[in-house]
Amino acid sequence: MKKIIFSTVLALSPLMAQVSQEIISPDVTYTLKEGKGLDSVQANCSMCHSFGYILNQGKQSHMFWDEKVHKMINAFKAPIAPEDIPTIVGYLSTAYGNGK
Amino acid sequence: MKRRDFFKTAAVVGVATVGSSAFGSNVAMREPIDSRTPQKINFPEKRPMITHSNRPPLLEAPRSTFSQVITPNDEFFVRWHLPDIPTFIDTDKYAIRITGNVAKPYELTLKELKEDFEQIEVTAVVQCGGNSRSAFVPITGGVQWGSGAMGCAKWKGVRLKDVLKRAGMKEGSHWVNFNGMEKPAYDKTPDFVRELNLDELNEDVMIAYQMNDEDLPYLNGFPTRLIVPGYYSDSWVKMIKDIVVTKDHTPLFFMDQAYRIAANATHGETPDHLAKMTKPITRMNIKSFIGFPDEGAEVEFQSQLVVRGVAFDGGIGIEKVLISLDNGKTWKEAMLGIDYGRYAYRAFRYSFRPNEKGNLSIMAKAIDHLGQEQPLAKDVPWDRGGYMFNGIDIVTIKIV
Repeated sequence: MKKIIFSTVLALSPLMAQVSQEIISPDVTYTLKEGKGLDSVQANCSMCHSFGYILNQGKQSHMFWDEKVHKMINAFKAPIAPEDIPTIVGYLSTAYGNGK
Repeated sequence: MKRRDFFKTAAVVGVATVGSSAFGSNVAMREPIDSRTPQKINFPEKRPMITHSNRPPLLEAPRSTFSQVITPNDEFFVRWHLPDIPTFIDTDKYAIRITGNVAKPYELTLKELKEDFEQIEVTAVVQCGGNSRSAFVPITGGVQWGSGAMGCAKWKGVRLKDVLKRAGMKEGSHWVNFNGMEKPAYDKTPDFVRELNLDELNEDVMIAYQMNDEDLPYLNGFPTRLIVPGYYSDSWVKMIKDIVVTKDHTPLFFMDQAYRIAANATHGETPDHLAKMTKPITRMNIKSFIGFPDEGAEVEFQSQLVVRGVAFDGGIGIEKVLISLDNGKTWKEAMLGIDYGRYAYRAFRYSFRPNEKGNLSIMAKAIDHLGQEQPLAKDVPWDRGGYMFNGIDIVTIKIV
């Protein structure tokens, strides 16, 4: 529906009159497995990105997830408290681990 | 295990030993993931696509998209880096700021962009540097794309050079920074700013406002996007807000740390021996991809099958596309479609009648005007970021 409104408004004027309504992107639920530390993942990770980012990586090693969490802190400046790091890495490497 | 999964696994096992001699014990490149299908979700102006994330949006086109030489706007891949993307743009007030080491900084409105400069069009491929990243083993950082983070469109807009000329670049200008309107969730998160050297800005670099004769789709950068033909999409800044001319290189996360490859001849490295020197990814390498038939498709014995796909590179141009039906032992030339210019997809098609029942692997390999050709997947160099995969595409079908 939004698409129709958006395109129609644009088509009316060569200079693209103001888009009369906000663009709305769909809510998509990427459900993570239940597990110890999931609440910490929800609190710390979802400010910046959907859980699709986690699921997209597939099952990976403890070292992989540890590096990812530190990349979020060091490169992207995610304000993750030091005491939350082992909880988050523990959850990811259990729920989405490959046994390594 | 599904049949197609068996083939992917078998291929990985098959190349592992070869990979060990070429790139070290733990590197085993494979064919990218090809088992994902579009979800039943419609993003604005998009048909259902492979939806890796909604925030930031990461949408990938399925294989079937690449049986067309021009990628329809509603099938065009989407990749944003930061979560806060404006959902409302007042096109009367929207303007690009051109500032920095210039005599006359100014704001450029959409109206001026469309009326004050020569309007040009170019057909060009845009591809994520990490397209096909799921081919990399061991896994590398970043979105694990299949091969659908690419598309080819006809872009309309104005030359960046003309826009910069109006600002009057002052002596000593060497770099131009581009920033879009999207923002991170936290102020301290690096903004997605890209930098190009003035030497890289040829006549083909443009600020586009149209894609395939329509306004840019919202998710592809409405209302304006930087077009850098031949370059990977990290340089194609969307929803342009600021263009800043500088004398010196600006320290930028997305130039200095992300989107970089080993600065050696093959741009390869191994997990055990990472290259010391790296450089930004820039020009695309040669690649082709089969759009039809799909992996795992059933095709009738002795029916007329036309394999279709697209081939492209960073601007040298496609000389020919070869097809193999015997696992690479012999190759036959495909027919090429209309030439839309050196930055565009070149469509290819290859017609034959399968004369044996059972599984059949179709391979496609592009060769450019200089004779450079795509390697087998197992021979593509590994790099830590999973960039620039261009292995020969293989589709396995069943003749019934």
